[in-house]
This record gives sequence, C-alpha cells and structure tokens, in this order.
Amino acid sequence: MNFVFKMAVKNLFRYGRRTIITASAIALGIMCFILMDSLLKGLDEDSQRNLIWYETGSAGFFDPEYWGDREMLPLDRPVADSGELVAELRDRNIDAVSRIDFAGDLIIYKDPFPEDGNLQVKVTGIDVEHDSDVFRLKDNVAQGRYLKAGEEGVLMGQWLARDLGAEVGYPLTIVTKTMDGYFQTLDLEIVGILESENPVVNRYGMYVPLDTVRYALDMDDYATGVYVSLPRGDREAAALQSLEPLAAERGLDLLDWRVLGADYVALAETKRSGSSSILFLVFLIAAVGISNTILMSIFERIRELGMMRAMGMRNRSILGMFVIEASGIGFLGSLGGVILGALVNLYLVNTGIDYSEMFESGDMGYRISAIGYGTWDPNTFILAFVLGTVMALVVAFLPTRRALKLEIPVCLRYN
Amino acid sequence: MITIKGVRKTYKAGDTEVKALRGIDLEIHKGEFISIAGPSGSGKTTLLNLIGCIDTVDEGKITIDEEVVTELDKEAKTSYRRNKLGFIFQSYNLIPVLTAYENVALSLQLLGLKEKEIKERTMTILKEVGLEGMEDRRPAKLSGGQQQRVAVARALVKNPLIVLADEPTANLDSHTGEEILKLMKKMNEKHGTTFIFSTHDKMVMEYASRLVSIHDGEFTSDERR
Repeated sequence: MNFVFKMAVKNLFRYGRRTIITASAIALGIMCFILMDSLLKGLDEDSQRNLIWYETGSAGFFDPEYWGDREMLPLDRPVADSGELVAELRDRNIDAVSRIDFAGDLIIYKDPFPEDGNLQVKVTGIDVEHDSDVFRLKDNVAQGRYLKAGEEGVLMGQWLARDLGAEVGYPLTIVTKTMDGYFQTLDLEIVGILESENPVVNRYGMYVPLDTVRYALDMDDYATGVYVSLPRGDREAAALQSLEPLAAERGLDLLDWRVLGADYVALAETKRSGSSSILFLVFLIAAVGISNTILMSIFERIRELGMMRAMGMRNRSILGMFVIEASGIGFLGSLGGVILGALVNLYLVNTGIDYSEMFESGDMGYRISAIGYGTWDPNTFILAFVLGTVMALVVAFLPTRRALKLEIPVCLRYN
Repeated sequence: MITIKGVRKTYKAGDTEVKALRGIDLEIHKGEFISIAGPSGSGKTTLLNLIGCIDTVDEGKITIDEEVVTELDKEAKTSYRRNKLGFIFQSYNLIPVLTAYENVALSLQLLGLKEKEIKERTMTILKEVGLEGMEDRRPAKLSGGQQQRVAVARALVKNPLIVLADEPTANLDSHTGEEILKLMKKMNEKHGTTFIFSTHDKMVMEYASRLVSIHDGEFTSDERR
C-alpha cells in the first residue's frame, strides 16, 4: 500500500500538466461555488439587517386588531399610552420608540415642482429625539438636515424625490384623515433627502416628526406601533419571550421582525430556494467539468493500466492508485479553489458589488439599495473543500473500475 | 514444461465470430527460444495472451510447470503473472512518467522486495541490456531501441519462468531489431529463461531455436534448429 501511495503521489506531480489543468478546473468550480454562496447569503443577511434597521426594528407592540388591516394603515386601532409603554421598556434597558404610520394623498404644485400632481403615500411619524435608538434613518440624510421636534418638516427618500423633482426646501401638502376620521391637511417643507441602504426608504420614504403628526391627527399619546431594538441571534428569542407578559398585560400583540417583514421573509424564502437551485447548477457545472477532465485523464492511461495489470499489479492496487491520484488532484484543486475563493471573497466582503442601477430600476425584493456585500461562512468553505475532494475521488473511482473490467489485451490495444 | 492441449479461442465482433485458435496442441521446453510465426490475424498474439494468463481459453488447457494456468482464478492469474511471467510488447508499453530505472524497478516493487535489492537487481539488468547511464531518462527521451531494451530489462529483472514477446521488433528498424534479438538471445542463454516470441519477420525467425508456424488459428509446421 505504501508503494501504491508513493506511486500515486509521484504520478500526481509527474503528470504535471494534467494535474494543473484538472486542479484548475476544480479550483474554478469551487471558487464559483464559494463566491455565489457568499453573494447570495450576503444579500440575504444585509437585507434582513436593513429590514430591521429601517422598517421593523427587532419587534413591535401593536393593537391586536391592527395587524390584520395593516395594509390600510388604520389609525383607529392604535397602541394607547404609548409613551408609558416606551418608558417601561426603557426601564428594562430595552431601546424602544413610538411610530405612527398613516396613509395620505401627497399633493404637489408646478411651482416649484416640475409639474402638478398627487400621489398616494405612506407617511411615518417618527420620534425625532429617540427614533435613532431603534432605527437608522438619522445617519441617512444625504441632503439638507434631520428633522426637528415639532416642526412641519418632512424627510423624503431620494428616489421618490428624484421622481417628483423634489429638492430640499420645497413645500408639499398631505391630505389625510385624523384618528376620528376627519379630513386633515398637513403643509410641510422638505428638510432633508434620505439616501438609505434600504431601497424601501429611498423609493417610498416620507418621515414627519411624531409630535407634529400627533397634533395634526389628534392622536395625543397614541402610536400605531411601539418598536424595540433587541440583540440579534440567540439572545433575541429570550428577550422576546421576556416581553410577552408585558404585551399580554397591556392587551397588545408583540410581533417580531419576521412577522412584520413577512413580505420580505416570504420573498427571501422563495429566493433562497432559487439560490439553492443556482448553487446546485454551479455545483453541477463544476462537477461536469471535474468529471470530464478526470475521465479524460483516466481514459488516456488505459494502456498504462493494462500494462500494470499484465505485470501482475492487483486491480485493487491500481484502483487505489488512481483514486489516490484523483483525490490528490481534488485536494489540490479544492485547496486552490478555497484560497482563490477567499481572496476574491475578501474583495466582495470589503468592497462589494454595486447593484445600484439594477436595484433602482426595479424592485428585486432585496432590502439593498446599492452595494451587495459578500459574507464569510466557514461552513461553505469546508463544504466546498470536502465536495471538491470527494467528487474527484468518486468520479475517478467509477471509470477506473470500469476500465479494470476491460480485458487486459483490450487495454493494451486501447488508443 | 509448457503444455498446450486442444486450446480454442473465438472472438466475437458484433455478429461476426472470429476463430482465433482452432484446437492448438504444443509442448515447449524450459529454456527454449521459440518463435511463433505467421501472418497478421493468424492467432499468434492470442496464443501468447493465453500463455501469459491475460486472456481466457474457450476450450482446452495450458499447463506450465505442472500448474494448469487456464484453471486459475483471476487473483491467482494476477499473482502468476507477477511472479512467473515477463512481457515485452511491440509498442514497448513503458509507463511514460517513470524513468527507465523506475519502469524496471516496478516489476520488483510489485514483488514486495526491499529497496536495496531492487536497486541492485535493477542496476545490474540495466547494465546488461546496455542502458547504464540512462537510468534517469524517461521513455520520451529514449530511442525506440532503447525503450525496447528497457522493456526487455523490465521483463527479465524478476527472473521469470517465461518471457512472452509479442512482435518485439515490429516497431524498430532492422538494425535495431537485430540488436534487440541478440540481446534477448543473450539473456536466454545467460539466464536460461524461456522466450516465446511472435513475429512475421523472416529475419527474426532466423534467431529462433524453434520455429512454430501458425495460420488461421492452426499450426502448420514445427521446426527445430
């Protein structure tokens, strides 16, 4: 066996060109697999993060009747005494903030906008002082400034502003209904344009100070939802569980980001199965490439194999030698693929790929506006490495065994 | 020492049946330098393959040193080839990535000998076949004649009972071919190894101490010299 192993290793280096070509094919396949996985997981992870940072927080308290009709943005099913709830949460060292989401008719006039028009919009009232405890809007002001408490100002997403021809300082009007159903008009001035990592903010975002909204809509201490920021990962579930009694005590529902972002989560699930198909295809292409090169390298050595058998080398020794050789090629290729994948992934993780044109021109479902970053997943690297090596072993095993079933004279005549 | 009795072999190529050997009987004695001569397709290679245990008979039996090799199972045949037989082929069939030394040493490595003995025996036989100083060359760096010398050394290094050579000079020019034959003859005389070689070349037949002619799978003459 020692002799077989030595001979296999020797062959590995002496058939240098074949080893390099085959190992390169494996390395390329492994690298593609790693990068594709990194990009898809990166898009998914960043989307989840941006969903939490800009839309849902980690979880929210809602009136039990609110969530079913959330699409209508009803104001008559609010969280009462929201300030008290927020204070209680803060007492428990949990960052919390109230928000009011309402629907309105945005009306703009030709001067200063390029043309007259109106548009159905969703407006969010945010607590200017504390919203940044849970959400990240404050860091996204690209032009103008952030809101001031009590002012009649509005922050607008940059893509929406571009579509409307809006700029900082432009006035606009929102016609809506109060909590009691009376019509109300808000005359606001654009104080800032938001450039966010989350395309929902850029495309639809309109944010007004919470106190301004409460005054206009007669909502006193009401909110449509009270949002909290919780640590992510394993501690999130425990924190949520600890908040359940508080929600029950106040007759509210506590919904986590998976429920609040159900549209994205469902979409992500679909995309994930699509991503798995893409990964499977990448894997399949790599597998075909690897099989092909290894098959070729075995078939071009059938005479050699016949000679070894004629000399009295046992079939299992020959099989072992070819399989060790192929595993060696698989090992070198997989190692190369993992190293190459890591190097290119370094760029993907740190610099990323700019998808801004693609994401701006159409809603892809991902909560990413511009740069899609890769991610590090050691499991993928291990999986890719093992798959590359094992695949080379398997694709060498079957044709070698088949070649060993040929009669020796046939092997010796093989061209 | 080698007894071939009633050996028949038929190959099937699609619907066509080719009767390669039609009931062959032959006795070969130890140390003979015997040529199986005949035109292409006469059954020479088939006969060598059957004696060499790399093909199976349809009928009949072959006995070597009182062992019926045609009745051995696959594993026993492999072992028999490894220990008792040496092969020389028309197209040398050297392993291209191994050096001349390694190609020859491979025969001994398969026998599980110690490295020191392998080295001694390999260097000795390479010297005998005139390849001293060329041990580290790979086949691609050797001429046809030199490659066939490596093949001869590889066949002989393990001191086999029989060396089977299938048209050993067919790929060589007449001068080189003659040199190889002289070398084989020298080895036959020196080591007493039985050589059985096939050919259709008259010059090669001249070197044989016994010439058996075969045509359409049947022997037509058996001439001792």
